[in-house]
Amino acid sequence: MLTPDSRDVRCTSTPCSEPAVIRLRDSGQYLCSTHCIRHVENLFARAVEGQRMIAPGDRIAVAFSGGKDSTALLLLLHAALPAWPDVTLLAITVDEGIAGYRDETIHAAVDLTTRIGIEHHIVSFASLFGGDLDMLLRGRESRSCTVCGILRRRALTVAARQAGATKIAVGHNLDDEAQSVLMNLLRGDFPHLVQDAASGEPECFIPRIKPLAGLSEREIVTYLILTGNYRELPECPYTNFALRSEVRVMLAELELQHPGTMKNLIRSRDTIRQYTERVSRKGTVQRCRECGEVCSGEICQVCRILSRPE
Amino acid sequence: MQIILPDRSTRQLDCGPLPIEEILHRFGINPVSVIVTRNGRLVPETAYAEEEDEIRIIRVAHGG
Repeated sequence: MLTPDSRDVRCTSTPCSEPAVIRLRDSGQYLCSTHCIRHVENLFARAVEGQRMIAPGDRIAVAFSGGKDSTALLLLLHAALPAWPDVTLLAITVDEGIAGYRDETIHAAVDLTTRIGIEHHIVSFASLFGGDLDMLLRGRESRSCTVCGILRRRALTVAARQAGATKIAVGHNLDDEAQSVLMNLLRGDFPHLVQDAASGEPECFIPRIKPLAGLSEREIVTYLILTGNYRELPECPYTNFALRSEVRVMLAELELQHPGTMKNLIRSRDTIRQYTERVSRKGTVQRCRECGEVCSGEICQVCRILSRPE
Repeated sequence: MQIILPDRSTRQLDCGPLPIEEILHRFGINPVSVIVTRNGRLVPETAYAEEEDEIRIIRVAHGG
């Protein structure tokens, strides 16, 4: 039988020889629980400070589904709050109305905001759009994530505006970001590839910040388990319809064979953004003729979805 | 050893000490998409598992 010492891989941080809980695939580093927690907190802090995501007086609305990423985001922002005395935090949960799925995640969301004492708003598709997602998707399930994403972004914007938020914090992680880059390329969607929601342009948008964009899903779940905040929740029943699930499998395979692929994709996107910023035209804000929200055409995507003939 | 898969179903694996990444490979699971506990403790996928261990595989890539 192997002795415990030979079985345990050790943390490679110096000076430390505690049993490792994770291997960072691109650097090859092994981290114990203490160093893994510190690593996640450091990457979060570096992103927030390095990209100047938070300014004095900010009121930050966290897009809080109750899932793993937004839970980690809310906990990290909440823990960092004492360093920003005049910054306030609130959570917004969007209830899309997905039977057998959303109830449990909303329950988890309410549990956490109650436990840590965060102002919490819940906004539903039914109240904003006159029907839940299950109803709105009938006959177009294959576009479920696109439709849901458009409506969810609107719901979040409306709720954040009503709550007086100056920033919206979303829990997109490294895997999400890399998948989005590849999906936009596969769809030939150049505008979405270069769009930078953090800029707040045009000026009537509430800027979005993504403090977890440098952290992988594995690092986030490991962090939640180590801090006692991991909760197994059901998976969205519409996930399998999405292009994202195919891209996720493809990218994970590439990442396995070529560690660093996801970060390279994001770096490529950022480089393209830098080039396009020089030629982009700002200040051409249009309003939807139906609802008055900012959009790129005459009618916004939300109104197009809601007015679709069945 | 007992393997608990991401869908919570269990499998018995009769073999000598194995690196966990080899176990993942046998079940067609990409290590990038999961984390693993051995007897309830998080371990890197390069750690070894042996006969009496319980290996639990948790999928990290979730939709929703």
